[in-house]
Amino acid sequence: MLNEVAVLQNYLVIGAVLFAVGLIGFIVRRNMIVMFLCAEMMLQGVSVTLVAFGRYHNNWGGQMLVLFIITVAACEAGIALALILMLFKKSGKLDIAFWQDMREAGQPPFVDRAIPEERAEERVWPRLTPAGIEPQVDEVEKEERLHRSRV
Amino acid sequence: MSTLLMLIPGLPLAAAIVTAVFGPRVLRSQSHWPTVLALIGSFACSAALLYQISRQQPVEPGVETKGFEYVCRIWTWANIAGAYDQPPQPGETPQSVVAGGRRDFRIDVTLRADALTGIMLAMVTFVSSLVAIFAVGYMHGDRGYWRFFSYISLFVFSMTMLVSVSNFVLLYVFWEAVGVCSYLLIGFWYHKPEAAAAGKKAFLVNRVGDFGFALALFLIWTNYYTLNFHDESSVKPAFGSAAVASGAAESGNTPPPGVLSPSRIEANDYYGGALGLAICLLLLLGACGKSAQFPLHVWLPDAMEGPTPVSALIHAATMVTAGVYMVTRCTPLFLASPDAQLVVAVIGGFTALLAGLIALTQYDLKRVLAYSTISQLGYMFLGLGTCTLAGITAGMFHLFTHAFFKALLFLGAGSVMHAMGHVIDMRRFSGLRKIMPVTHFTFLAGCLALAGVFPLSGFWSKDAIVAAVHEKAYPAAHESMAGAHAPANEESDDAASHARPTPETVLPLTDDQRATIYGCLFYAALFTAFLTAVYTFRAFFMTFYGPERVPHEAGHHAHESPQVMCVPLAVLAAGAIFVGLYFEFTGSFAGFLQPLLPFAPHAHEINLPIAVTSTLIAVSGIGLAGHLYLGDAREVQWLTSLLRFDWMARLADAGWVARLKQLGPVAAVNRAARAVGLGLLATLVGYVLLLVVLILAAPLLICHYFSPYRLSYHKFFFDEIYGALVVWPLRALAAVSFWFDRWIVDGLVNFCGRVPPAVGTLMRSLQMGLVQFYALAMVLGVLILIAARMFGLGG
Repeated sequence: MLNEVAVLQNYLVIGAVLFAVGLIGFIVRRNMIVMFLCAEMMLQGVSVTLVAFGRYHNNWGGQMLVLFIITVAACEAGIALALILMLFKKSGKLDIAFWQDMREAGQPPFVDRAIPEERAEERVWPRLTPAGIEPQVDEVEKEERLHRSRV
Repeated sequence: MSTLLMLIPGLPLAAAIVTAVFGPRVLRSQSHWPTVLALIGSFACSAALLYQISRQQPVEPGVETKGFEYVCRIWTWANIAGAYDQPPQPGETPQSVVAGGRRDFRIDVTLRADALTGIMLAMVTFVSSLVAIFAVGYMHGDRGYWRFFSYISLFVFSMTMLVSVSNFVLLYVFWEAVGVCSYLLIGFWYHKPEAAAAGKKAFLVNRVGDFGFALALFLIWTNYYTLNFHDESSVKPAFGSAAVASGAAESGNTPPPGVLSPSRIEANDYYGGALGLAICLLLLLGACGKSAQFPLHVWLPDAMEGPTPVSALIHAATMVTAGVYMVTRCTPLFLASPDAQLVVAVIGGFTALLAGLIALTQYDLKRVLAYSTISQLGYMFLGLGTCTLAGITAGMFHLFTHAFFKALLFLGAGSVMHAMGHVIDMRRFSGLRKIMPVTHFTFLAGCLALAGVFPLSGFWSKDAIVAAVHEKAYPAAHESMAGAHAPANEESDDAASHARPTPETVLPLTDDQRATIYGCLFYAALFTAFLTAVYTFRAFFMTFYGPERVPHEAGHHAHESPQVMCVPLAVLAAGAIFVGLYFEFTGSFAGFLQPLLPFAPHAHEINLPIAVTSTLIAVSGIGLAGHLYLGDAREVQWLTSLLRFDWMARLADAGWVARLKQLGPVAAVNRAARAVGLGLLATLVGYVLLLVVLILAAPLLICHYFSPYRLSYHKFFFDEIYGALVVWPLRALAAVSFWFDRWIVDGLVNFCGRVPPAVGTLMRSLQMGLVQFYALAMVLGVLILIAARMFGLGG
């Protein structure tokens, strides 16, 4: 009996460590794939705990639940990876902080490293020598375009 | 006959719809065709209807004939079974209100044909077809050409329905429809602010009258339990099957007899006393609004902002006669209340006099005609107010003749306006008789008819009204005359008076006092006849005589109007000359209307002394106008300055003070004061003198301000008085309401709307878009939950 409790404790410790590592990893990492892995790790921690309790209580419900969790986790992994792929295609980055643009309007952005201001003297544009025939500007059309742009 | 009855309003309605649909794209400058054809067709139908009515009801003056009426139901508009349950009140109930039973509230769309309707229909459609033809020339090239003819058709539809429906509710409906059309037509040139304002004014002033009319309808319903004119039993279905008509049998109880039905008139089953007076006065208020009588007359002169054919059609010939028609239709109600008759007569006589006085000094040709319309409508009400057979038929006769010559005069004014480039101020043109001969002669015919010169139509009708008032004022003289002439008549009068008990009165006036009031009205009517002649011919002479002057707006092409405008003028002129003569000598008008009205027949005779007097008065009025406006202009100026109380202004001149200071004793005192170095005292004396002079002069200045001329020129300040008493308080109230609505009601609503966003703003800073933060928040939340669970919170 005592042995049973010791085995359960070992399993529970393993599950708690897995969950804690996954949680910390999820909170501190910004790479979307790593975050996803961490989430999976939390899931596994929970699964281990469930299996351990199931065995301890001699109740197969825990094992059943874990089978379901594994199935659902597989589907979820497919969807999550597809989403990550789409986000990567959109932005070219795996950094989740890039998507903080979707925050509430009017909130200050979270900047971890500010891009230095471009100074005026650095803004030098190359000058090209003009060539070819000067185009005839249709005054009327110009007016109209101006008007249209205002409208 | 029912087909004719439905065609008369149906044709203009169809024309209105066709013009409105096809006018702007397809018909364009040919938009007048549907309207003109429909109106002429409508007139032909009216004439056929009138002929049929007169065949059914033989006209023999002085012989009792049964009134002919034909009522047909087109459909039932509303039928609320058992809507009203009224237990009989003992003592007060008229015999006809049978005990018990719930009553249906039932509105049938019924049209009626009788003598009164026939005459009105013929008159309305005749005048409006001529006006429509005239408008083809007058409105030529206007941007809203099709719109104009569509409105005109719609208006004629409303007016023909108004005179042919047989139910008070429908009368009210078309009463309003006519008001709407008039609003549209007055404001036809809506881009002119005056026209828009005039349309609004007409509409609002009419609302006041309509309010009274609506109250009268409520009173009639609660006391007579029906709003039909006719008995339910006399209704014939418009479309064949008789089963539809037996609406009364379905509900199982007998409907009360119609308010104006022959059976009720036979039984003389009307409320008198205070209730009767209230009903009649409220009806009269409605009539006053529509017919521009004294308290509500202010809208008609402003309505001249509309196109001139509209003025001719609506504000002279047809719409304003709706009030007269309604009062005539309700004669049995008015007969039960002598006080109401008196009020009608007083309002009519007073309005006639007032409008005549105002018309004397107006310079706008159309405004003169507008006030003369008000004045003539006052005459009609005066005739109706006598409530004798002679008076009412005379009032209707005047309505009929007036439609001809007033439409003629307005169209003539329109012709002048057309030639003068829309200038209508009589000071800016004169001597047009060479330029516009046709207009000149037709206008002359209209003026003579309006002034009441012997053989023209206005003479006969106006004379009949004056004679009727005279008869009411001096009954003794007339009875002795009638007795001497025809003793047979006395018997029938006696029979009538036996059948009809004397109605109870409310106002504490004896018969003698009533007769005195009618006597005053008689003299007022005679004086108004004089005024009519003066102002009519003042306008005529100012326009067509004197040196030839044309305003520059007319350009170089001041010319006679085209044929399409001259022909209606000529037709109307012929009408103005001969219509009165015809009806007077056939004697058919009174005989035609008599069977409808609850009076014994009465041989018509001309009261020669009064006829001669009124003719003399008219001729002297014309003479005065001719003397003043054809002769020396200085006389007019002298008369004007006399009536303007210029001498008072001279008396009240402030320069007096200066002169007074130099006067002997005062000057001596001043010199003495200055000599001893008391300049202050001298100044003080000057101030005291100024004060004295001002106090003395104030009444003079006020008198000068309210001199007869200025009163007349400024229309007795009615617009200003109404503005101060009604318009400005209402505007202030509206401003307060606006402020309340804007800041209190809206403020509350906006406050409620602002609370959720304010709460949301507090939470907004949490939504920073960092997934890690969300995850952390979730973890913390879960930790809090677990901690709570561990420490035994939440069970």
